[in-house]
Amino acid sequence: MLAKLRSYARTLRRRDAFEDSMDEEMRFHVESRAADLVRRGLSPAEAARRARLEFGSIEKQKDVARASVGVRILDELRGDIRYALRTFARNKGFAVTAVVTLALGIGANTAIFSLIDALMLRSLPVYRPQDLVQLNLAGQAGEAPFPTFSYPMVRAFDHRRDLFDGVAGYGGSGAVVVGPPGALSRVSGAFVTGAFYETLGLTPAAGRLIARDDDEPGAPSVAVLSYGYWERQFARNPLAIGQTLLINGAPATIIGVSPPGFVGANVGQTADITLPAVMTHDPGLLENGKGNFWLRTLARPKAGVSVAEAAVRLNTAWRQIGDTVIAPNWSAARRKELANARFVLTPGATGWSFLRDIYTKPLWVLMAAVGLVLLIACANVASLLMARASSRQREIAVRLAIGARRGRIMRQLLVESALLSLIGAAGGLLLALFSGRVLLDILSTGAFRVVFDLTPNGHVLAFTTGVAMFTALLFGVAPALQSTALNPTASLKQDARTATGVSRWLPSLVTLQVALSLVLLIAGGLFVGTLRNLRNHDPGFRTEGVLLADLDTPPPTPSALLDEIRRVPGVVTATFSTHTPLSGSRWSEPAVPAGQALPDRDTALFVGGGPQFFDTLKIPLAAGRAFTERDAAGSAPVAIVNERYVQRFFAGKYPLGQHLTSRLNGEPRDLEVVGVARNTDAIGLRGIAPAVVYVPYVQVPKNHFATVMVRASGGLADVAAAMRRVLQPAMPKTPVQVRPLSAQVQATLLKERLMATLAGALGVLALVLASVGIYGLLAYSVARRTREIGVRMALGAERRRVVTLILNGVRRPVMIGMLIGLPAAWAASRSVQSMLFGLQPGDPLAIGGAILVLTAVAHAAAYLPARRASRVDPLVALRHE
Amino acid sequence: MSEQADLLRGTLDLLILKAVSLGPLHGYGVLLRIEQITHGALLVEQGALYPALYRLEHQGLLDGEWGTSDNHRRAKFYTLTATGRKRLKEETESWNRTAAAMSAALKTRPAEA
Repeated sequence: MLAKLRSYARTLRRRDAFEDSMDEEMRFHVESRAADLVRRGLSPAEAARRARLEFGSIEKQKDVARASVGVRILDELRGDIRYALRTFARNKGFAVTAVVTLALGIGANTAIFSLIDALMLRSLPVYRPQDLVQLNLAGQAGEAPFPTFSYPMVRAFDHRRDLFDGVAGYGGSGAVVVGPPGALSRVSGAFVTGAFYETLGLTPAAGRLIARDDDEPGAPSVAVLSYGYWERQFARNPLAIGQTLLINGAPATIIGVSPPGFVGANVGQTADITLPAVMTHDPGLLENGKGNFWLRTLARPKAGVSVAEAAVRLNTAWRQIGDTVIAPNWSAARRKELANARFVLTPGATGWSFLRDIYTKPLWVLMAAVGLVLLIACANVASLLMARASSRQREIAVRLAIGARRGRIMRQLLVESALLSLIGAAGGLLLALFSGRVLLDILSTGAFRVVFDLTPNGHVLAFTTGVAMFTALLFGVAPALQSTALNPTASLKQDARTATGVSRWLPSLVTLQVALSLVLLIAGGLFVGTLRNLRNHDPGFRTEGVLLADLDTPPPTPSALLDEIRRVPGVVTATFSTHTPLSGSRWSEPAVPAGQALPDRDTALFVGGGPQFFDTLKIPLAAGRAFTERDAAGSAPVAIVNERYVQRFFAGKYPLGQHLTSRLNGEPRDLEVVGVARNTDAIGLRGIAPAVVYVPYVQVPKNHFATVMVRASGGLADVAAAMRRVLQPAMPKTPVQVRPLSAQVQATLLKERLMATLAGALGVLALVLASVGIYGLLAYSVARRTREIGVRMALGAERRRVVTLILNGVRRPVMIGMLIGLPAAWAASRSVQSMLFGLQPGDPLAIGGAILVLTAVAHAAAYLPARRASRVDPLVALRHE
Repeated sequence: MSEQADLLRGTLDLLILKAVSLGPLHGYGVLLRIEQITHGALLVEQGALYPALYRLEHQGLLDGEWGTSDNHRRAKFYTLTATGRKRLKEETESWNRTAAAMSAALKTRPAEA
């Protein structure tokens, strides 16, 4: 085997030398034979003749010898490729149309697949990622497993060295504030437990990485930089190690740089600065207790311990671990529930990403859509090839007649297809690279920057090549079979223009294209409609004119700061808030009407708001009053509930003046209901508005949330700049950024915008490809029927009738295509029903619009060839060959 | 010439290996050597020789080296590689078994059946 490969390589590398030596060797043979014959008494001339005769043709011998070494097939392939390229050069129109069509189809597939690969398939760049597992607690029946744990739990798991080589815990990425006052910046950061880097098996690019000792109370504060951040901020200067950074106002020493390519375990979100969990700004996060399940895990089972075994033994160990890490202040029932929970270990090679929860389904839907587009593209190229095959019939018949085997010609045709496909795939890769950037830009307009490396890797290249080869087979085999399945004698006698047999396929390809386009157009219409409905949807508050500024901590004197802001020109109202609508961050607490027992579980969303809170968001009050300056920190605690809360907990009773039993950030509170607000979509535009309890901002105990909310009139940019000038000096430790609430609301529509943009674009692409197909079919049939049309017109047929005749050729396939497409579209839209809003799979507007557009475009595509047919001059047509 | 038997399929390779095992040979020499060792009983079709030689070289059983022939001309000489030697041994044994079996079978008289 090895010898063979070596021989191949030698022959191919020194192809000319191989040919020469073969020639020399055979010539030597013939001459030696001739010399022998002379010795036997023949004349030299006669001897040479005899020797040549016995040996036969040297060229033929060489050919057989080449075949025996296996290089002949390569020679032929090279010949085929050269021949194919010549054919393309002669038919530039055909080649360009086919390549562009394929590039669009393959490019769309590659772009979506690159995203799927980056988000879901790619392993973390760590040591043996396939060995890593994620720990989960199995939920109650029907509930999803619970993937997060408290800090003491993760540390306890890590101590079980009989089960694991290490258990790493990591929190979701978020911004940390870096720098001294006056030069603050927000940098993406992550908190990890001390076992993180060792468990993942990473080696530092410089310095050292966080170790278990760094994650102990009282350890010196340290930070690890990502390679990219080190490159951007420190130009990869080794002296950066040992420097001190001010992080969230406290100094921390840079101890090292993580290896290039590794940006944390949160896929899609870079952590430029990684800190030990012990440095978290909220010490509560290091304790046991409710709400402190903030760490995800990556565990490496000990060598020799299988995943299943690790799960079983962890369940046993949990009986002891549980005692020490389940919060003691929990109710007995909840303690018991957690103690009895079972562990589920899931593969951890690909890390974790909140983006996966959001985008998995949309990406697969898009993958299906681009698959359909590729099918349409294939149908296009197949019909191009078939149309061309009829004009090549004579060429092929001649080649068959002079003795070419059918297989040999088919191979030639398939090489042409493969070549088209590969050139198309190369174009598609470029297209995907470009459109991948555009997609990432769309994704990054949300609250978080999404970072993926989309440079084509092995997966993507393999995928694209595979798709290209598959497409080549899909569109190449049928035309190749058809154009070689002919009787050469008959074909040669036949006039090429009257040859039949090829066109039977073309209408069915148009039917297929129309059906698929209809599916894509209807889907596109549904997603565009969904986005439109969500944009027009009334969330219960007004976003226009509202500006937000996040302060990292509550200011020392909130009301004085508000007074200052209210003096900014253009500011109409100003207030404080703990949480803003649709920010993605939420706060929930248990709260029930006084007299009922306070439950373990949270019952309502809580929002802390200042005076003018309801004016700023324009949330109407149904009854009672809004918060005022008199609702101060020391005065009687009050609350405003929304209508959903009233409906759920007061069932018919008049809520004003009633009291709520509640617990706010762990402190028991008795709240008097002073107002009822209308419902708002506080956490999502889809679905039912949640029950909300509003409390005065200054009455929230242990609060560390602070957002300034302003309703402004006039130019928002000017007001924002003026606000920043007031806020920044008051909050020297926070990099103040003022942003519009509308952007925050828009960001929640990211998925819908992505779907509407892409599904719409794919619908249009499908339409364009299908119209090219329809045009091609008609143009071809007009060209072939020129003589027939001429005869008809010579016999007195009207031009109008001729046009009808031609159009009839396309009406049938288009109609059948629509009839097939409609139920397919219905089935397809049923499967994405959960992604729609405000419309049903059978939305008449989407379906009617799609049919209308498709019909119009089909007619437009058919118009040009039909007109050409009507302009046929009978005299010219009949004389034409 | 007419008394020379045609070569059985597959025996050409074996004959070439055998011929070359007796000493390095160029292509024409292989032809002569086979004629010599079969006492002219087996005729190698000239057209079949080179494809077979190239195939055996490609399979790594023969090694081709350019050298100088008796009449001081450049010629390609074939030698047996280690793999070739092993193959020759196996093929020879297999051939002998087949031949013995065939010969025994053909000697069978009606009474012994």
